[in-house]
Amino acid sequence: MRNRPLWTVALLMTGSLLAGCGLSAGGAPPLHVKPGSIQPVPELAGVELTVGSKDFSEQLVLAYLAEFALSAAGAKVRDLSNIAGSNSGRDALVTGQVDLMWEYTGTGWISYLGKEDPIPDDAAQFEAVRKEDLARNGIVWSLMAPLNNTYAFAMSRKNAERLGIRTMSELAKLVKEQPQEGTFCLESEFASRNDGMPGVQKTYGFEPAPGNVKLLGIGPIYQAVANGGTCNFGEIFTTDGRVLALDLVVLADDRNFFPRYNASVTLRKETAAAHPQITEVLRPVAAKLTNEVVLKLNAEVDVDGKDPAEVARDWLVREGFVRLP
Amino acid sequence: MSSPVRQAGRLQLFAEPIAVLLIVTAVLVWAFTGELDSIEQRNITFANILTLTWEHLQLTAAISVIVLLAGVPLGVLVSRRWARHIAPLVLGLATIGQAAPAVGVLVLFFLLTGQTGFWIAVLPMALYALLPVLRNTLVGLQQVDRTLVEAGRGIGMSAFTVLRRIEFPLAIPHVLAGMRTALVLAVGVATLAMFVNGGGLGSMIDTGYKLRRTSILVVGAVLAAALALLVDWLGGLAERRLGPKGLR
Repeated sequence: MRNRPLWTVALLMTGSLLAGCGLSAGGAPPLHVKPGSIQPVPELAGVELTVGSKDFSEQLVLAYLAEFALSAAGAKVRDLSNIAGSNSGRDALVTGQVDLMWEYTGTGWISYLGKEDPIPDDAAQFEAVRKEDLARNGIVWSLMAPLNNTYAFAMSRKNAERLGIRTMSELAKLVKEQPQEGTFCLESEFASRNDGMPGVQKTYGFEPAPGNVKLLGIGPIYQAVANGGTCNFGEIFTTDGRVLALDLVVLADDRNFFPRYNASVTLRKETAAAHPQITEVLRPVAAKLTNEVVLKLNAEVDVDGKDPAEVARDWLVREGFVRLP
Repeated sequence: MSSPVRQAGRLQLFAEPIAVLLIVTAVLVWAFTGELDSIEQRNITFANILTLTWEHLQLTAAISVIVLLAGVPLGVLVSRRWARHIAPLVLGLATIGQAAPAVGVLVLFFLLTGQTGFWIAVLPMALYALLPVLRNTLVGLQQVDRTLVEAGRGIGMSAFTVLRRIEFPLAIPHVLAGMRTALVLAVGVATLAMFVNGGGLGSMIDTGYKLRRTSILVVGAVLAAALALLVDWLGGLAERRLGPKGLR
């Protein structure tokens, strides 16, 4: 019993730790902002909103953009970004752990709605996902951004100059004329999607020689393409900061094959109905998110090693949406 | 007197592979009889499943051979009296290898070499699975009663003969237990080989998860788990057959 004071202290400390962080997920956004061109909205004052995201740089930046914009409008925002994997993030939204999340039209169509073939037009794809996901799962899609984070093939600057290739059609021609140069690094997922390699081969009419297709993780693919030894061509995402950092040349999809992956805000039906102001607050932000803008923001995170929250806040400040406190 | 015991042992011996076989059959029947969309059809074919399973076996076998050939001799070396000071260093290095996430070790190795393929997957994973064998060999040899070693030396055996005829046979159960752990570990980490074009069942798990095609995910995961169970079972058999007779 001599140790009683120590015990008490230990118990109190454990208790306060649990109360502080253990029992509910998510915390306050890591930085503070003041209203700029986004002004406080009376209907959102004090409303608790949880913003979720998947676990890659672009999703983190997008989530923080929404968080800062909504806090400037007066909402009480909880940050639940960085959820591992698309499916887990989506489940968090559907079950109500998350109120709002940026999602890509192609992902919604193919992964969540189980479709096999994409629709080759931004607006039509968005409209199709919006209609079906609302009817089937009660998820509202709104505010499609210009940002289209789709697939593309890339090559190193050196290989691009050596082979003189800029478009997918030229790639197809190369594979037919010099099969040994047609080496590809793909993710296993991409290799089996209709809107991935099987569709590319069908649309552009070529077939890599056996053994020339290598399956890698997405991270290693960027490096392997940059090295240029393992493969001349690699599957990449158009808005990934590593495209800039590794000086990759992205081939033009001249037959418009790859699906649309426009980022859009997704919410549950109830949330959207209860707080229609959310989309109004985010509308001007979403409208400015083009591939060029987001590619640079992603590179600030992936290449310069900046914090995604800081990158998001600084851009909002530069654009005048919010002010620093 | 011993026959009922032996019978129970035999039943136990065959129960595991039979259970594994039943589970695998059930899952395959479920997967093949379901309604498959084109993405699933591309993945769930006998040819694809056989290829990936075969690749997975090859990965596991290569990892195991390297671990056996490197881990056991290394364990013996660092157990010698003259190596007493470097033993903690070797164990420390091996522990670092294991404390790091397997996928990190794998990708680091790829970045260092700039290469991809089977061996670029096998070598880092072998390093990763080395620790249990190394440590168990070391511990197995260290726990041998010193008086037995001294007795051996006393009747005129050379240090090597003592190792071969006394120390190593007594350490074998530990070595085999370590081997068994390493093998099961190898089957598990071999699912990561697909990150560097090493093949294996990992690609089904990855594709199934990312595209939310549960059938693909389940087939890949169950086959990998079945392989792990079979390898563990073989390890169990080896432990029975190869352990010192007196301790069986």
